[in-house]
Amino acid sequence: MANTGSNQVPTADVASVASSPRPYLPGDLAMWFFILAELTVFAIFIIGFAVTRQLYPDMFQQGQTYLHPVAGGINTIALISSSCLVALSLNAIKHSRQNYAAALLGGALLTASVYLAVKSWEYNELIQQGFGLSTNTYFTLYFFITAFHFMHVILGMIILGSMAFKTTKGAYQGKSLSGFESGACYWHMVDLVWIIIFPLLYVIN
Amino acid sequence: MTHHQGLILRVYLYLIILTAASAYMGSVALGSNHSWLQGVEEVVLASILLVTLIKGLLIVDVYMELKQAPTLWRNLLRAYVILLPITIGLIYILF
Repeated sequence: MANTGSNQVPTADVASVASSPRPYLPGDLAMWFFILAELTVFAIFIIGFAVTRQLYPDMFQQGQTYLHPVAGGINTIALISSSCLVALSLNAIKHSRQNYAAALLGGALLTASVYLAVKSWEYNELIQQGFGLSTNTYFTLYFFITAFHFMHVILGMIILGSMAFKTTKGAYQGKSLSGFESGACYWHMVDLVWIIIFPLLYVIN
Repeated sequence: MTHHQGLILRVYLYLIILTAASAYMGSVALGSNHSWLQGVEEVVLASILLVTLIKGLLIVDVYMELKQAPTLWRNLLRAYVILLPITIGLIYILF
């Protein structure tokens, strides 16, 4: 006699398995390896900055007084806003709202431009005051970390621009959104790094 | 407005509030010489780093949409935003 009872799955379990979404990694796998590599490089710089600060506390405290915390705050809000608009854009494209998605990407580019403008102004202010890469260890690390991040913002904006252009051409209609998701995740990575850099450079003194 | 749109906008609001909170803590608590703040710098520092950690987790889970990602990838990114602020805190407090 077969014991069918032991093989039966309770109805509630079947329902919960059926309703739970399948794990899904947005974007290309290669992009995620790239993001991990980038995050690792930034982590090394950030930890290096923290350790060096403990070695030269006076130099770092003095150097920080020449920074503009308001500019850092504006840049944080600009990047968070940009990230939000990119996330909304991805959501819009999933609902086949191509024009709205392109407009949101345009907004993301605009807010990212605020970051570039404010950061350029901040660099100009520091250079006018005579500070540069070779001033001391603090400014070497400050310029190195922020300029490296600045370059990532520029690359991210080129990617967002390309995504916006392709969206207006209907490139993501009825196709895989992998390319769009990859670009969006790269941009969020840029935002994520700044969120860690901001308190380190501007807030903690 | 879809549920996900609402979530994205709510997270945006949280991120702005958390940014303002950490900036306030930094300028008022760490940048002042109030006697009542003596000895609590580590607590303020830990709070700022905790805020940073929470902001990172919100971006990873909601904006990067890793909440539904395979566990390995989600945990890798979550480990990054958890361990990096903790490492910074330990360096600042212990050394």
